[in-house]
Amino acid sequence: MRDLFRFLHRIRDTLLFLALLALSFVLLAGGNRYHRARALTSSNAAIGTLMQWRANVADYTGLRAQNQVLAEENARWRNRHVSAYAPAEDLFVRINDTIHRRVHAQLAAKVINGTAHKQRNFLTLDKGAKAGVGPDMGVIGPHGIVGVVRAVSPHFASVISVLNPDVRTSVQLRRTGHFGLLYWDTNDPRTASVVDIAKHAHVQPGDTIETRGGDGLFPAGWPVGVVETIEPQPGGNYHDITIRLTEDMTRNGHVYVVKDLQRAERDSLQQAHTGP
Amino acid sequence: MIGTIASNVLRALALVLVQVMVLDHVDLLNGYAVPYLYVLFLLMLPFELPAWAMLIIAAATGFTVDLFGNTPGMHMSACTVMAFARVHLLRVMAPREGYEFGARPVIADMGLTWTATHAAVLVLVHHLWLFTVELFRWDRMGEVLLRTLLSALFTLVLCMLAQLLATRTRPGRA
Repeated sequence: MRDLFRFLHRIRDTLLFLALLALSFVLLAGGNRYHRARALTSSNAAIGTLMQWRANVADYTGLRAQNQVLAEENARWRNRHVSAYAPAEDLFVRINDTIHRRVHAQLAAKVINGTAHKQRNFLTLDKGAKAGVGPDMGVIGPHGIVGVVRAVSPHFASVISVLNPDVRTSVQLRRTGHFGLLYWDTNDPRTASVVDIAKHAHVQPGDTIETRGGDGLFPAGWPVGVVETIEPQPGGNYHDITIRLTEDMTRNGHVYVVKDLQRAERDSLQQAHTGP
Repeated sequence: MIGTIASNVLRALALVLVQVMVLDHVDLLNGYAVPYLYVLFLLMLPFELPAWAMLIIAAATGFTVDLFGNTPGMHMSACTVMAFARVHLLRVMAPREGYEFGARPVIADMGLTWTATHAAVLVLVHHLWLFTVELFRWDRMGEVLLRTLLSALFTLVLCMLAQLLATRTRPGRA
């Protein structure tokens, strides 16, 4: 017995090493599951505040580019505004719309911390639960999709970027409607892959890839990217497509959090049919 | 003693802040070279520190960096492995008559060759572990190795520059 204790005493440093390593692996395994590590993510209030300070300083370096993006977006909305249109015919037309319902709401937020060059990327937003942001809401930018909210604290939200192999988004070809999954395995912040588009779909370089909607994350038809290369997959039934993302993920300042207003209804219907 | 503790605590705070506020957002070569300068704090911990303290300090440092990067456990495991490697490396690299009392693991006290070797081995261990755990896929080990080499080079250069610029040579020492 005494020999055993002496032995344990002799290897105590190795034991401590193994214990600490085991602890870090427990954290590592928990962190990839969605809400487990909420207290450990950067939506944590203290760290969020520190990152807010950093953003307050770093924001100035991107003002010029940011203004350009916002101005372009304003121009796009102005083009859609009623005042930009005159009736095509000389008649008074009144559209009293009772057959359209609002299906999603958007909230402007700012990215205060984030990476684009890691192998798994995350972002932190300056809006949280108090602004109505909740887990599993989509985040989009002016030109394309950005990510999915993973956890929220009262004033901050932590977002899994689309530049993360843990996120797979349902997308489709705008021209033909064939659908597939967006999956980031290119390790390049400018591109991503689209998998599971059936081989009989005629995909061409230059085709637009857009969101499919219906997953409760993104509005349908929001741009995602443009097809760059199509690799035949030998022996497979699917195309291997690389797309160029339309949103510049290395520089997103202002983004929009999307709240799907019909989500609860759709989820409960789908659950009733696939649930246990 | 008190001075050593104070200067190490200050160094830890400064390096971790620089890491999470500035260096984590640097991406040279399309993100293949990211410097992890905060390991300099672990490289400069005193020789007299017992192994258990070294391990716990390293794990805590890694944990702090993880909090900022949304990567629970990743830097913590890399730092723990690096600390364990350092405990053994210091034994292997000890001069024949042991470390001189009061010597610090810096260029001014130990010479460039010793410091650079010590830093290179440990930075490689840390980065290799970090990038392997980050991706966690065996089929892309080539990429992990490339990232490790480029980032380690970047980190090493920064570590050496930071030491040369920021450590004072003590009077009365060669």
